[in-house]
Amino acid sequence: MDGGYNNYNSYGGQSGGGGGGFMPGETTSPAGGKNAERDNKTIRPVTVKQILDARQTYPESPFQIDNADVANVQFAGQVRNISTQSTNVTYKIDDGTGEIEVKQWIDSQTADGMDMDGAAKAPAKNEVELNGYAKVFGSIKNFNNKRYVGSHAVRPLTDINELHCHLLDATAIHLFFTRGPPGGAGGANGAAADTAMGGAEDYGQAQALASMSPVARKVYTLLKSESAEDTGMHMQMIATRLGLPVTDVAKAGDELISASVIFSTTDEQTWAILDYNS
Amino acid sequence: MSLQTPRVLPSHLHAFHPSSGGRSTHTVRLLGTVSELRGDTATVTCGGNGDVTLILKPDSHLQMGKLVEVVGKVADLEGGQGLGIRVLGTTDWGNPADCDYKIYERVVESTHRFKSIFYDAE
Repeated sequence: MDGGYNNYNSYGGQSGGGGGGFMPGETTSPAGGKNAERDNKTIRPVTVKQILDARQTYPESPFQIDNADVANVQFAGQVRNISTQSTNVTYKIDDGTGEIEVKQWIDSQTADGMDMDGAAKAPAKNEVELNGYAKVFGSIKNFNNKRYVGSHAVRPLTDINELHCHLLDATAIHLFFTRGPPGGAGGANGAAADTAMGGAEDYGQAQALASMSPVARKVYTLLKSESAEDTGMHMQMIATRLGLPVTDVAKAGDELISASVIFSTTDEQTWAILDYNS
Repeated sequence: MSLQTPRVLPSHLHAFHPSSGGRSTHTVRLLGTVSELRGDTATVTCGGNGDVTLILKPDSHLQMGKLVEVVGKVADLEGGQGLGIRVLGTTDWGNPADCDYKIYERVVESTHRFKSIFYDAE
């Protein structure tokens, strides 16, 4: 018994070493491009029309809505048809902006489990009803030039407020990608009024700020409005002014520095706006 | 093109009337509380935004006091009584108290203000 255990141990050690040896090969492999796609795990609220209007820059590339890659989408609509096949359940979902097919693949393991429990349990688990509303989570797919959604989950939607809030969510996100963040756009306009030259540059920075965290935007706005001296403002000072933990401000600073909208001046923790005009 | 049914309030009906032209769709979605049932017609009240007369289908099952979502075509009412909706389908949403109608008003506003993500307008 002991010998067997030791043998297993040494075998494990070897396989671990083998795994380590594979690592460098993996990082240089073309899978690098796919990793970025997999890292984008956000679930974007959309309307069916947005899914139908989504474009690919080239075949197999990620779908884009408002020129932003979308990995996963969520939407809510009325179930117009349910067709159960051996490998998947196909729903036709209509949200008032369009109609799209949603394919929910049947997990063979779950299906086996249901067989054991008896088929009667299956309908109770999935309460999505014909002409009822459903919320769908999934990713956009193309098959034979036909657009559909490969779903991760479909569940019934029974609160009408959730449906309406979803539509407002989708609008808000659409505006975020087409016009920039709510605060940033207004701030840029205000600053543009002050200096005629500043307009275009502010717009560029507003674009850069669009993808940033709210804290980063707050830090940016404070630096923009408050730091009179060229040396900028210290991280500690920013934290006090914004009433935020220093760690959050440091993180926001990293974000802003890596996007080149601010730079460090007298030391690593003192930042100023990278302003081309002054 | 797939069927699009923009969400509306009573004041939007004229814009989707067939005579207004230019629209790719005359089918709309309306949310309201059933306030009157008269056999082949009914009235829904849309929060504080007025009433709309529905021209029902034989198989329409509406219940008084329930919140309903109506999908239908904008049509002229008999006897020149203005515009109504010829019902294609209805969905019962139960108790009107469970719905915050203000959110719906915002949805309608967004639908028409940012129409590119909701429907094709010509």
